[in-house]
Amino acid sequence: MLVALWFVATSAGWVDARTLASPAAVWDAAQRLLETGQLQDNLLVSLQRAMTGLAIGVTVGVVLALVSGLTRVGEFLLDANLQMLRSMPILALVPLAIVWFGIGEEVKILLVSLAVMFPIYLNTHAAVRGVDSRFVDLASTVGLGRIALVRRVILPGALPGFFTGLRFSVAIAWLVLVVSEQINASSGIGYLMTQARNIGQTDVIMVGLVVYALLGLISDTLVRLLERKALTWQSTLQSR
Amino acid sequence: MAVHPAVPLNDAPVTDRPAGPVAVRASGLSRAFDGRGILHDIDLEIRQGEFVVLLGRSGSGKSTLLRILARLDAEFDGELRVPDRPSVAFQDSRLLPWNRVIDNVTLGLTDKDAKRRAAELLAEVGLADRARAWPKTLSGGEAQRAALARALIREPELLLMDEPFGALDALTRIRMHRLLRTLCERYRPGVLLVTHDVDEAVLLADRILVLTDGRVSLDLTVDLPAAGRRHTQEFTDLRTRLLTELGVEDDDQ
Repeated sequence: MLVALWFVATSAGWVDARTLASPAAVWDAAQRLLETGQLQDNLLVSLQRAMTGLAIGVTVGVVLALVSGLTRVGEFLLDANLQMLRSMPILALVPLAIVWFGIGEEVKILLVSLAVMFPIYLNTHAAVRGVDSRFVDLASTVGLGRIALVRRVILPGALPGFFTGLRFSVAIAWLVLVVSEQINASSGIGYLMTQARNIGQTDVIMVGLVVYALLGLISDTLVRLLERKALTWQSTLQSR
Repeated sequence: MAVHPAVPLNDAPVTDRPAGPVAVRASGLSRAFDGRGILHDIDLEIRQGEFVVLLGRSGSGKSTLLRILARLDAEFDGELRVPDRPSVAFQDSRLLPWNRVIDNVTLGLTDKDAKRRAAELLAEVGLADRARAWPKTLSGGEAQRAALARALIREPELLLMDEPFGALDALTRIRMHRLLRTLCERYRPGVLLVTHDVDEAVLLADRILVLTDGRVSLDLTVDLPAAGRRHTQEFTDLRTRLLTELGVEDDDQ
């Protein structure tokens, strides 16, 4: 629908081509960028940044969630601080991050990691805390030790919450990456779009938007697939 | 379609067998929550092979007592000797939803033989074909049978059950009663079953304790044949007596 409207609006001349390029022009631009290799190169860079940031953020988030979810000291030291920090928009850190770290790779990865960490932490922490205490009773009656309790009861019980966090995180990872690439980068999809903006190429900007949309869609689908695979026990309507 | 247990139902009288070694001994057991006494000075002895039913109205302290015996609550006064690891069957089957049925049965067991014994026990409770199923796909009765298999695979000296059939429909409950009696004949744990169902108590018990306001107000040995109890005069008399003890007039005479 939206694409059709876009097509009609641009080809009928309602919208100036300098304001919004037509789908055909965007297609051409994409072809051009692919031929020069610009699209692939920048996409690869962006993808790499997102994945690295995601991996670090998820790991740190899970570790923090477990420490504060499973130990009283951890809860005391970590939870209040993290709950407070999460109300701050991560993107507000961009100027400070540039001053501190310049415009190197680390900044972008750091920002993505930081942004990703919060939804992972919050959801996993809540899920760990929310594991049914009746299962903890059960574990003690069958003689599970502390490590076995975590492995057999708490981790699997917290997995659905973790996946909720992961889906938020993946979306946020792209968001933060786009912004930080547009502000301080010399490569990546965001950079490609900023360059295009400077010389008024709306077709290239549109290519970037489409790529971002596709990346968001694909990564969300991947997470969903992963979730379905890991949580087979939840789908009750199959078998039987 | 539920599969019925393949075990033959043993109709030998329960009361004629020799009592085994002591499975639980408690004396002067008391428990208070925030200064409010829930259990007062309970004395209790259950031998292996003995089936004791603990009856009481809600709030009488029966679940509190069971939690203490299950070693889930250590904040009591008095003396208590229980086996290191009594098995517990809860009102909800409490199967871990993320583990298949057979892995629930072997939960906490580390020996290599556990899987084989679990499969045997599942067959015994009529769940052989559900071993690889996810708990959420089981019916209430099936889940409770799986929980029973999990409790019995440990060959416990003491089996504690907290209204294990409370959430089941009447027909399933009758079937579970038979199965439970057969399994207890075979594995001979000391049993303490908590319930507020008088019929269930009279049907299953070798001994019935009534708990009223945290004290044992009645301790009765049941001298009835294991099978066909329901149709004896003694059943009716005992039932009336217990209902009176629990403060309910039996006007069904």
